[in-house]
Amino acid sequence: MPIVVNLDVMMARRKMSLNELSEKVDLTLANLSILKTGKAKAVRFSTLEAICKALDCQPGDILEYVNKEV
Amino acid sequence: MEIRITTRQVLKLLQILSWIIFIGLCIEAGAFLFNTIYTFAINPINTKSFWDGADLSSLYDYDKGYFLVITGTIIIVAVLKATMFYLIVKLFAGKDVDLARPFSEKIKNFTIALSCFAIGIAFFIQMGVKYATWLIKKGVKTIDLKPFHLEGADVWLFMAVIFFVLAQIIKRGIEIQTENELTV
Repeated sequence: MPIVVNLDVMMARRKMSLNELSEKVDLTLANLSILKTGKAKAVRFSTLEAICKALDCQPGDILEYVNKEV
Repeated sequence: MEIRITTRQVLKLLQILSWIIFIGLCIEAGAFLFNTIYTFAINPINTKSFWDGADLSSLYDYDKGYFLVITGTIIIVAVLKATMFYLIVKLFAGKDVDLARPFSEKIKNFTIALSCFAIGIAFFIQMGVKYATWLIKKGVKTIDLKPFHLEGADVWLFMAVIFFVLAQIIKRGIEIQTENELTV
């Protein structure tokens, strides 16, 4: 998929573990793992909002469009 | 007092019904097979009351080969029906019906299999009926096919189409379910 999730990068910048983020955004570890590994097919706005709030960042910091044809 | 019937209770009832029908169809298929073998190997008199009062003696006296084709068709239809219900019983026994995740590859394959069996049954019923009509035109006095339930090919074909459409809907359901599961 051309949309890349840079959640692990942002987590590393904020020095936040997956467990900590999971507690803050009220999401299961399994779902966060799906998001982190790029297996997710869709992200709810509410989830994105919670993640942005917890990591103090913008949606663009987490999601990135990469054109694979180039 | 309000009586609530849940999906689980309906499924349980259907499971019991499927078992009863499956056992009945197995007995019927077994009896057709046994009667045919018995007629050929031991006692041809058996054709006078082949099954449930059906008299196939005129057909047997006319030609044993034609008799074998008709009984063979009857056996194939009965076995296909029994196999179809075996699949239903197996589905219930294997606890593949998960109401939390209703769409699965197993359910899709099951529906496609039912569709194929229904087409097979429709084909053999139609073939049997046409063959019997042709035999009567040829000079056989009577062929009583009513007790063998060799009728309703169009209904079976309709059922096959319905099952096939259902399989396609289930296929789409699997995609939506997977997408829903991967939405964070």
